[in-house]
Amino acid sequence: MRLALDDNDGSLTDQIIETVDTPIVILGPNGSIKRFNPASQKLTGYASDEVLGRKVWEFLIIDEEIDGVRAVFEKTRGEDTPTHFTNYWKRKDGQHRLLEWSNKTIHDRSGKVSYVLATGVDITDAQATKLQLSETQAYLMSIIDASPIAIITINERGELQSFNRQAEECFGYKAAEVLGENVKLLMPEPDQSRHDQYMGQYMETGEKRIMERARSVLAKRRNGEQFPAMLHVSEFKDGQPTFVGFIEDITDQKMTERRLKETQFQLQHAGRVGAMGEIATSIAHELNQPLTAAASFAGAVSLKLKKAEYAGCEDAIELLDDVVSEIRRASEIIRQMREFIRNRKTAKSLHNVNQVVQEAATISLIGAESEGVKLETSLDDDLGELQLDRIQIQQVLVNLIRNAVDAMKDCDEKRLKISTAKRVGFVEITVEDTGAGISDEMKERLFEPFATNKEGGVGIGLSISKAIIDAHQGEIFANIRDSPGTVFTVKLPEGAYDEARNHR
Amino acid sequence: MTRPEITDKGTVFLVDDDIAVRRGVTALLSAAEYSVETSKSAEDFLSKLSSLDLSNAVLLVDICMPGIQGLELQELLKDQNIELPVIVMTAHGDVPMAVRAMRNGAVDFLEKPFTVVEVKTALDRALSMSRLDKTPLQSPEPALLDKFEKLTPREEEVLRGIVDGNTNKEIARVLDVSPRTVEAHRQKIMLKMGAASFAELIRMAIALNIDGNYLQ
Ligand SMILES: Nc1ncnc2c1ncn2[C@@H]1O[C@H](COP(=O)(O)OP(=O)(O)OP(=O)(O)O)[C@@H](O)[C@H]1O
Repeated sequence: MRLALDDNDGSLTDQIIETVDTPIVILGPNGSIKRFNPASQKLTGYASDEVLGRKVWEFLIIDEEIDGVRAVFEKTRGEDTPTHFTNYWKRKDGQHRLLEWSNKTIHDRSGKVSYVLATGVDITDAQATKLQLSETQAYLMSIIDASPIAIITINERGELQSFNRQAEECFGYKAAEVLGENVKLLMPEPDQSRHDQYMGQYMETGEKRIMERARSVLAKRRNGEQFPAMLHVSEFKDGQPTFVGFIEDITDQKMTERRLKETQFQLQHAGRVGAMGEIATSIAHELNQPLTAAASFAGAVSLKLKKAEYAGCEDAIELLDDVVSEIRRASEIIRQMREFIRNRKTAKSLHNVNQVVQEAATISLIGAESEGVKLETSLDDDLGELQLDRIQIQQVLVNLIRNAVDAMKDCDEKRLKISTAKRVGFVEITVEDTGAGISDEMKERLFEPFATNKEGGVGIGLSISKAIIDAHQGEIFANIRDSPGTVFTVKLPEGAYDEARNHR
Repeated sequence: MTRPEITDKGTVFLVDDDIAVRRGVTALLSAAEYSVETSKSAEDFLSKLSSLDLSNAVLLVDICMPGIQGLELQELLKDQNIELPVIVMTAHGDVPMAVRAMRNGAVDFLEKPFTVVEVKTALDRALSMSRLDKTPLQSPEPALLDKFEKLTPREEEVLRGIVDGNTNKEIARVLDVSPRTVEAHRQKIMLKMGAASFAELIRMAIALNIDGNYLQ
């Protein structure tokens, strides 16, 4: 039978081939083009009469694919079932399009191949999109893997669906080992046992326990070690509910925090002890005077009672001895207190001066009083380490900084500048403020105990500071200047202490 | 009944800025039959110095006063070649100050508050010195040297620490022993040196010219 295909008699089939949007090519048994529908013409840029009679692989197929296309053609010719193949077409202008083909052989009555019918779909754009999609996905994956925060996802049963590189690092598991496992494995007790319940509750009631807000939790590494972490959980729906957990290991942060807290505590303690020392020294003298007078009066009476005319007063004399010995005891207590405090000799070791300064600044500026104060630091990198008692030096710095902040309380411009500098033979630390300056009446007594013009001030900060710096064989002084503001300078000698200390 | 103020026990020039101390110590010393002349400051004392009879007398001065301090007064007198034995009064336990005063030529020191016995012992010793007009600090007596030589090196170290004004605890730390061990050493030293009081031990150490600068 002759197919209606090769006579342009307007049959239905013919119309379909002519109007359809799909490239349709009809090849002869040897592969030469018999028909090249308008969609094909449009796709390739070739007119029908340019291609009729030519073999497809002679001009439409890219070199690398010629063998493949011919093989498929042979295969299609030999079979009844349609074949499928994807290959490029080279357009007249040289551009390539990717087409997905369905090929079917049409036989004549005698069973001989009369035509091969190839219907193509241009998938160039779809392919590009697909490629782009997978690229995007890879890109996102690499972002997720590069994240410094562990990111994991779980399904509604709590099974791990993804586990990024940081999660591997942080927990010590490989993603492949844990995917599909329950997320509880990453938690210590009691959360481990309760997690199913948490999830069940959420799934049922929608009640958020930890969702949508970061909170600090304990997490568990593969080796059983627990670590503090910030956890943030979000939910999204990807067909079924999925939960993403962002987990940040805050061990280091916690340690810094703890160290700062400890320092703060030690400073407060040192401050109290230092204050006590100053007060004790003053009291020791002030209180010793009346005690001396009292003991002397008692002694005088006792001596008088020993005179002949007072015979029989032995009891009274004994009582007076008791008075004197109690007075001595009082004096001894004061002495011990002062000594105890004085005994806290400096405990020096090597410290990075800049770090000491920075910590002191951080601690001093905690709190409301320092609100609005702009801190400027200029730290000399060449400083290195120095033998010093960290807590004591920080106590001095905290004193200076708090004084500076106090002095700027009523000022519009509150600038605090803390600098360190290496000089020949010593290190210099300065604390500069833009405050009210040191009042005249204060200038002379600045470093004396109980010199203060602050309400509620004891006035021992600077006298303690001076004692501490003296013990470090350094110097502390204030630049009294006319312009507003004050600069306190602390000079710490390099190594001087060592020699003195080790010289036994 | 009144007794004569002036007795042959000697005169004490008492210099202290605290009026209660002046009154109390005057009462005590009068009862112990010394004659007492008080001044409220070093300046006050210096202003009446020319009118005072310095024979058989001793200066009892507080080391810590406003204005001219005890040590300075001692210096001033030394500069003027005034032969007056000086006893300084220190706060209880202020050994470094006491040692400085003793090096400076004070014959003794008294820790406030003091007992009748302590003040009498110190005054009598100073007055006898003033009568004999000699300072024992120049060269140590051979007997003292003998005693000193009996100390072990450790005891000597402890003694230096004490003279330097350190507490047992501080000495213990430097020597890396317990404070109790230091206290034991201390007792032994007192015994070996034959010192009746802490002040006497210090006096001896200074006479021996023990330079204790080993802790600082
Ligand atoms: N940076 C400064 N600017 C102006 N005045 C200052 C400054 N630093 C110190 N002063 C003055 O010196 C005085 C003494 O300071 P110090 O640190 O000894 O004690 P205080 O701060 O008054 O009291 P406290 O001991 O209770 O902290 C202060 O009252 C203040 O008048």
